Amino acid sequence: MLTATEYTQIMKNRANFYSFLQRFYMQEVSADFMEQLKGMTFPQDCGQSELQAGYDLLESALAALPADWNDELAADFAKVFLAAGEHQGKAAFPYESVYTSKKGLVMQEAWEQVKAVYSAMNLAMEGVAADIKEDHIAIELQYMAYLSGRSAATAEESLLKEQASFLKEHLLNWVPALCADMEKYARTDFYKAVAKLTVGYLKLDAAMLDEVMAGGTDGESVSYTVSTGEFDKILQKLSKDYKIYAPKLTGKHGAKGQDIVRYGEVKSASEIVYDRQSDFSAKEAYYPVIQTMIYFTENDSTESQLKDERGILLFAHPCDVNAMARLDNIFLKNGDHADLYYARLRDKVKVVLLECSGSYENCYCVSMGTNVAEKYSMAVRMGKDEIKVQVKDSFFTPCFTGAKESDFAPKFVTENERKATLPVIEGKEDVKLATGLEFWSDYDDACISCGGCNAVCPTCSCFDTVDVIYDENSKDGERRRKWSSCMLDTFTMTAGGAKARKTPGANMRFKTLHKVYDYKQRFGTEGHMCVGCGRCINRCPKDIDFLLTINRFHDELKDAKAGKEGK
Amino acid sequence: MENIMLSKPHKVVKIMKETQAEYTFRVEYTGEAKHGQFFMLSIPKVGEAPISVSGKGDDYVEFTIRKVGRLTEGIFGLAPGENLFMRGPYGNAFPVEEFKNKDLLVICGGTGMAPVRTTLNYFYNHPDVCKSVNLIAGFKDLNSVLFTDELEKWKSRFNTWYCLDNMEADGFHKGFVTEYIKEVPISSFEDYNIVIVGPPAMMRFSAQECIKNGAELEKIWVSFERKMSCAVGKCGHCKINETYVCLEGPVFNYTVAKDLLD
Repeated sequence: MLTATEYTQIMKNRANFYSFLQRFYMQEVSADFMEQLKGMTFPQDCGQSELQAGYDLLESALAALPADWNDELAADFAKVFLAAGEHQGKAAFPYESVYTSKKGLVMQEAWEQVKAVYSAMNLAMEGVAADIKEDHIAIELQYMAYLSGRSAATAEESLLKEQASFLKEHLLNWVPALCADMEKYARTDFYKAVAKLTVGYLKLDAAMLDEVMAGGTDGESVSYTVSTGEFDKILQKLSKDYKIYAPKLTGKHGAKGQDIVRYGEVKSASEIVYDRQSDFSAKEAYYPVIQTMIYFTENDSTESQLKDERGILLFAHPCDVNAMARLDNIFLKNGDHADLYYARLRDKVKVVLLECSGSYENCYCVSMGTNVAEKYSMAVRMGKDEIKVQVKDSFFTPCFTGAKESDFAPKFVTENERKATLPVIEGKEDVKLATGLEFWSDYDDACISCGGCNAVCPTCSCFDTVDVIYDENSKDGERRRKWSSCMLDTFTMTAGGAKARKTPGANMRFKTLHKVYDYKQRFGTEGHMCVGCGRCINRCPKDIDFLLTINRFHDELKDAKAGKEGK
Repeated sequence: MENIMLSKPHKVVKIMKETQAEYTFRVEYTGEAKHGQFFMLSIPKVGEAPISVSGKGDDYVEFTIRKVGRLTEGIFGLAPGENLFMRGPYGNAFPVEEFKNKDLLVICGGTGMAPVRTTLNYFYNHPDVCKSVNLIAGFKDLNSVLFTDELEKWKSRFNTWYCLDNMEADGFHKGFVTEYIKEVPISSFEDYNIVIVGPPAMMRFSAQECIKNGAELEKIWVSFERKMSCAVGKCGHCKINETYVCLEGPVFNYTVAKDLLD
């Protein structure tokens, strides 16, 4: 079994090797690249015979290069890949379509397929020249480099699976034939060596991926019981690779005098508040209140970079774990593109399921179907003296070497004191009816449009952007995004001052429909956006109880429907 | 991974005054932009907002902007040669292909003319595509009239009704656009399309008037203006029910638009 550090290193190495390989194919060898090649020390016994043969041949080819290597290699590049100077036009055309389509043409089915694969990952893959299509070997290798790089940042089983399948279906299916042709058409040992290296490495990598996945994250779970002292030591060890977020006391008090519990970095078990709902949700660990997006100067803009390379270990109750899937839909799936700022933090998250010690005040997760969560790396039952841990993700197994095994499995809340009765909305006519319900205007007086409910909600995703400059006279600055709130008076206001929704009641209707209808309708998900965590109820300074809103909405709509039928 | 929210600088090449409050900015841009699409324009330190394309050439794109908010104030501070930050184009477009060989009625009010300007110029330059082009354009008063030269030019190839809400002037009718819809022989059209762009109430009343004069719902197209902070389906500002205006719009068929209730 690999440690997290070993795993990261392997993934980094893979990313580097794929990037290295694609350079041979993308264009003729540049002076820079040649310098790099000449500076390399090649392995003497890498364990894969074709790859080793490639290394050996490349080493001797490099040593034997003439002073005008540039011309010679460029000519061979043109001959091998572009059929330059060949009267019959025979060459190793480096496109998957050429090798997999019946007529041997470019831009066939394979091209369509890989384009779909890239776009599913929200990638636009480009070569150095427009004629380098998406199924060009250099682009396919680049894609592997990209995925390996992402795997280095985040240990996700699905990423590894994607790599294994792409390797099998879009590289190993044709590259061996391409490499055989390269060896046939190449005049220089250099490109013959590249052929051996490529095919050798692909085979080695396929075997390695299988091995990593076999020992990966989807294995059987093992449970342990550890003392809080031991647990703290484990946290300390993990903090080298992870920022550890959990609900903890902030020392601040709310409007009603209550202690405010919010997500923050923790160092020990005693800091973690597990016997009540936190006032703020877990989302701020991976979707912070304020994020810098872009740095500006007068003539350019650059993307902000993450400073902390560590992953994120997130202690979260089932409601918050289920909320992640909701935010994922908005940020990663809605529209054609994933949101980079969200993805780069979200990719880092590993979940530690925090077992609920009971159904807390105002929870209605059972009604929303979010009382159970299955996607997590570890689960914990916190206690004063000892902590029970279930480890599902084998990256964490080494942390528990020598710990006492147990048969712990997390229990989930199966009943809440409070229950939601969801409105039954079937089709456009019902939406119209729901929109026109008179009771929404009750909120015109009740709601003060503070947006507190949105701030504590684990599934509220809306944001504004704000530009700031560093000083009055400078044109340098940054664009930040910060949480917004559909309950704010200005949420729909355009530059001229016109508002699409003008009253707190209209805002409440909008929010409620989004939470218990629109979202599910749009994404076709099993669950609604609302996860029933009850935080907005605890938060509202005017004691607006969202659960009562939902239930009243149900009743009012039912009556309206009955009234309509009666007419 | 592609950063879809990274704006890049584009040079302002020309600024043209339309009215006291509205100017057209011509910006360097060589990519595509379809009729009715928009860009996210921004000025660092002032902010970002969605602005419709009002003109398009091989190496430029134009935006007609009204001086109403912080961002547009900022844009008005630019001089040719300076940079505007831009990303896009976003949104869908008017289905101009479907307008072929059919009659077309365009009804627009005020700055609502900006998003249809490229469509109008396309049909002006290709007079054989549509059977007829009918344009009803309304402005508040003489001082708010946009694209004066083009209004004059379009007269020669389109049937035009130019009107001012509350002012009499040469070459203009007095009154709202809705009052002139009945002069367009909609019910005698064999096949047709109607494009309506302007403030929400103007679009609603115009559509109702068209329907009253025999138009079918599915022949009507409208374009929505909404607050947006991302234009790519994330920020939530333009959402109406389960529809994101930035993704599914801004152009909607009226069969859909009539149910998008705020």
